[in-house]
Amino acid sequence: MRRPRKSCQICEMGVRQVDYKDDRTLSRFLTERGKIIPSRLSGMCARHQRQMAQAIKRARHLALVPFKRGHSR
Amino acid sequence: MTRQYELVYIFDSTLEEAQVNERLEGFHSLLKTPDVPEPTVAASHWGKRTLAYPIKGKETGYYVVEQFDADPTLLGELERAIKLDETVLRYLLVLNEGLAPVGASAEAPAGQESEGAAAPGAAAGQEAEGAAAPAEQESKDAAVPRGEEEQS
Repeated sequence: MRRPRKSCQICEMGVRQVDYKDDRTLSRFLTERGKIIPSRLSGMCARHQRQMAQAIKRARHLALVPFKRGHSR
Repeated sequence: MTRQYELVYIFDSTLEEAQVNERLEGFHSLLKTPDVPEPTVAASHWGKRTLAYPIKGKETGYYVVEQFDADPTLLGELERAIKLDETVLRYLLVLNEGLAPVGASAEAPAGQESEGAAAPGAAAGQEAEGAAAPAEQESKDAAVPRGEEEQS
């Protein structure tokens, strides 16, 4: 049984280029621990998954998004 | 040949706005060349916001985002100055791939990036920001809203 492919949320928002400064959107693609959700689960298209991964890494550098969440701070 | 860059600074949040502006002036002066005596820098101050994790023991930072055009040869000196300034907790200098006017900078190797992973070539295309909110599905946490206004 194959599930129908989820559609890419970023494409649906009409965004061409993922913005690394938009931490609210980025955090939708992070697990509660702060890991990047794989495209298998996020349903993102390859282009946007790549952009998202890059954007999240930049946002982490800028402390907009955590490297890890839930551990003692 | 000039290219469009985007530069994000995180200043120490104990700095006054005037002190931040003073430092920004200093950095901008490094972008001046005989050809371009008055470089245009579009700056937007996000103001203070909480860091996702402490940097140098600080929990908050003062964010400034800038877009500017510059010749790549000037960036070395600029980055050096930023690194030497201890009030800058962190910075990120990347090619402006988003809002840029289409064309020109499309498929060139990524220029400068601090620390982060190697940037993939600049993808062509415009950013349709603003359409970014509607499908709020599985928002794990509503992070701090971003904006020009001050947040403490």
